[in-house]
Amino acid sequence: MLLLLVPFYPGAASGQGSVKLTFWSWRAEDKWAYDKMIQVFQQKNPGITVEFIPFKQTEYNTILSTALTGGKGPDIIHLRAYGGLETFTAPGYIAALDYETVPELKNFSLTIMEGAKGRKDGKIYGVPFASQTIVIYYNKKLFAQAGVTVPKTWDQFLGIMKTLKDKGILPLANGGKEGWTLEVLSGAILPNFYGGSTFFEAVTRGQTSFKDPAYTGALAKLLELRPYMNPNFMGVDYATMQQLFLNEQAAMFIGGSWEIGFFRAQNKNLDFDVFASPPVKAGTIPWVSSFNDGNYGINAKTPYMEQAKKFIRFTATREFGQMFADMLAQNSAVPGVVIKDPVLKHVQEMNRKATPYIMLVGFRWQAPTGSTLLQNALQAMMAGQKTPEQVGEEVTRGLSAWVDAFRGR
Amino acid sequence: MSDARRLSWQPLIQFVLVANAVLVLAPMLIMGLSAFKTTREIFQNPFGWPAVWRLENFSRVWVEARFALYFRNSVIVTAAAILIILALGAMAGYALGRFRFKGNDLLYLYFLSGLMLPIRLGIIPLFILMRDLRLLDTLWSLILIYAASGLPSAVFILTGFFRTLPTDLDSAARIDGAGEWLIFRRVMLPLVRPALVIVLIYNVIPIWNDFFFPLVFIQSDRLKTLPLGMTAFFGQYYTDWAVLFAGLTLAALPVITLYVLLSQHFIRGLTAGAVKG
Amino acid sequence: MAQPLAPAGLPARPLRPSRLSLRAGRRLWLLFFLGPATLLFALFMTYPILSALAFSFYGWEGIGRRGFVGLANFVRLFATFPYSQLLANAFWHNVLVFILTMLVQNITALGLALLLARGPWGTKVYRVIFFLPVTLSLVIVGFLWALFLNPIFGIVNKLLAEIGAAALGRAWLGDPQTALIALILVNAWRWVGFPTIVFLAGINAVPDEYLEAARIDGAGEWQTIRHVIFPLLAPAVTIIVLLTFIGSFNWFELPYVMQGVAGPPNRATDVLSLFFYRLAFGEVDTGLQDIGIGSAIAVLMFVLLVAVSAVAAVLLRRREVEMA
Repeated sequence: MLLLLVPFYPGAASGQGSVKLTFWSWRAEDKWAYDKMIQVFQQKNPGITVEFIPFKQTEYNTILSTALTGGKGPDIIHLRAYGGLETFTAPGYIAALDYETVPELKNFSLTIMEGAKGRKDGKIYGVPFASQTIVIYYNKKLFAQAGVTVPKTWDQFLGIMKTLKDKGILPLANGGKEGWTLEVLSGAILPNFYGGSTFFEAVTRGQTSFKDPAYTGALAKLLELRPYMNPNFMGVDYATMQQLFLNEQAAMFIGGSWEIGFFRAQNKNLDFDVFASPPVKAGTIPWVSSFNDGNYGINAKTPYMEQAKKFIRFTATREFGQMFADMLAQNSAVPGVVIKDPVLKHVQEMNRKATPYIMLVGFRWQAPTGSTLLQNALQAMMAGQKTPEQVGEEVTRGLSAWVDAFRGR
Repeated sequence: MSDARRLSWQPLIQFVLVANAVLVLAPMLIMGLSAFKTTREIFQNPFGWPAVWRLENFSRVWVEARFALYFRNSVIVTAAAILIILALGAMAGYALGRFRFKGNDLLYLYFLSGLMLPIRLGIIPLFILMRDLRLLDTLWSLILIYAASGLPSAVFILTGFFRTLPTDLDSAARIDGAGEWLIFRRVMLPLVRPALVIVLIYNVIPIWNDFFFPLVFIQSDRLKTLPLGMTAFFGQYYTDWAVLFAGLTLAALPVITLYVLLSQHFIRGLTAGAVKG
Repeated sequence: MAQPLAPAGLPARPLRPSRLSLRAGRRLWLLFFLGPATLLFALFMTYPILSALAFSFYGWEGIGRRGFVGLANFVRLFATFPYSQLLANAFWHNVLVFILTMLVQNITALGLALLLARGPWGTKVYRVIFFLPVTLSLVIVGFLWALFLNPIFGIVNKLLAEIGAAALGRAWLGDPQTALIALILVNAWRWVGFPTIVFLAGINAVPDEYLEAARIDGAGEWQTIRHVIFPLLAPAVTIIVLLTFIGSFNWFELPYVMQGVAGPPNRATDVLSLFFYRLAFGEVDTGLQDIGIGSAIAVLMFVLLVAVSAVAAVLLRRREVEMA
């Protein structure tokens, strides 16, 4: 009979004395590290426990949206940046922060802080946690085996992939089943061809659109990669991509800097490094797409605002940032963190010529987002159903619903 | 047709049936076998027996997937919903089947209309309703919805059964001075027990397996039902195939066990709702 | 003696007059017996559906309702890019699901039922086996087959390679041309036991005298099936067709679990329910929702399902009566 009373207890039931905060995220791969960092926090703050609950990447936004619109959701929220943040801050679901609550934020870089603010009201809504860069991972052992070296130009890149393939090694682990992995692929390859930040400025100002031959010409380069992926790459999902690279069944993996820690944790013997997608001409420094990956924020409706603020403040400290960088080998947003991982150091160097990851940074403010449009169109293009020009046209047309400058282009 | 002709078809018929049986069982067998292997072994030797029969995948699922917790939630939700369906359905079926009153037919048809209504389309208002009733993120949101959606079939089946009962039964009881409730409980209800079993079996599988309503209404991990909990678990361990297979096997076990024990009842019950009388 | 079972839809035959003392007392009892069920049903089934239909005529900001906008949401859904295209695409997929399921799943089921009806050795065992997948959760079925259909590590392609048909192996779930069909086949695998049993029950219900009469008249096996069994199977067919139709247009769990809420690749597996869900609860990449359009889709699906079900039920019922 007592069992019938159980269903009455709502989700965030408070315990006796100690407060439990729930912390939602899309980073299932990082759970082990977050659990450790949380332990450090808990030791310093007896009476507060934090539970890290990750969700599948592709379900996270929908699940979070449902929870917040229902007035529920976690206490601490792992939030995206730019448009992905705006979705939740505009309706008032996220508690605003200020320099009094988190004084450490004063030292964060201004560009990074831009990704933590609401577009409408300019208030701060979270503590930025990392910047990510899109790179090309390569297996040093397989490269040596095939006798190839890191390419310096695009043509060399195609060349080494051919060599690898001829030697029976799958050059690229990438696949197309999950649209966002194709967007990441485009983020790595395209900037060198469409002219990096110059194009980004032009397109966000409305001076050009995605029908621009610079962009569609860049898209066409993705088609050149197809022979070097698994013949059934359209069915290869994110997990399989990672497996291929981890099991050393593929020589390269084009992805984000967030993989470094994951690769290390899953396969300690994997000897890998990174290089930027090569430019057209030898000698030019290549562009890399980079973006503010997101923020830690507080649910405006949490009953434990005091404790939540304590935790949020902890995530802005150098101590947290250092643990984050050490364990997860990701670029912590906290200033002054020392990068020890050699591969991550490479990424840091590449970031000197970083350009915004175009759709995520510039075109996710309203629906249909540039990302959704691009992801679906890319799937069609890589499956051979659309041309790059059609992709550009479709993206521009879809965006013209809320990007005035694209109308009539 | 002649017996000789019948016999000559037998091998072919058996072949088709066996082939279909293999098609049905093989995936589940492979699922079960893979649960005992390591991920690497699954990639390299997908069809064979496990080299070593490891149990660690199962223990990981049990502990890390909080299997017992999700299982318990599913039991609570399903049991409570079924109880409500049976109780309210029987009461309504009794009234509709044995009393003449204005609006009897209308009410009966009203319940029946629910058989065709796609309740999931009302999910947004339901979501808002649950939020306003403060039932969001509680097991009661699920129980009440499942109960409501099970009523049409329950009313349909039970009304039919109640109608078939002899008319003199309650008159005899009434002469003895028995009240309505007693008549219902002591006299009528026991007689429709087969119908209650049918209603139970017809509803238990869809409710137990449902994934959609928990997806929308439940946010807290400790309230998730089994299908939803397993989805969350798979989202976390998406690269660890051995654990995935163990999770799938464990999640399938309760229903498969129940089914094997009660297969005849299930088949009859689930099709009874479909084939009218 | 028992009252004959009233055919569905016809009023119950009047029973003996109530002997309760007060009219009011009787009313109270009726209220007591009928009230809870009616209330529960009205609150959690009728009200939401009617509300959902009403919601489509309002503007929305997130989950906050704004002013009355008439048919604006419908105009956006049916006439503006990209929604009109997404709608047509999703709708077409639902139609495909219905057609292919009828052809693959239900005809196979009929065939199996006919075979089982002969009562071959092992009938009881086969029945139990064939029905087993129907009891499995769609989440389990979806995940299981997603793993099996993985182009590199999954057993389907590995099996094809082993029997020397490696060329047939492909990206089942990733190729826009095969993805939906793969899902339909998985769905059929899971469901085929159900119509099989329903048809089997129907076939077994055919009175022996009819079969005997046909045999005496010299009818061959196939002729017996066509002219005696099929007409009498009409009620079962009605039910299966209706249920398949409803199931095809309500299809959600399997595509959600196997492909995700976006219906990839490039919306090749997008169906009305996924489209509805995305708009009602937030897109994959940002969580942006559009309840106005979501509700409009709900209205569309509602009208479709109820209207077609009702019409089909009437038509098929008429055929049933003719055939009897």
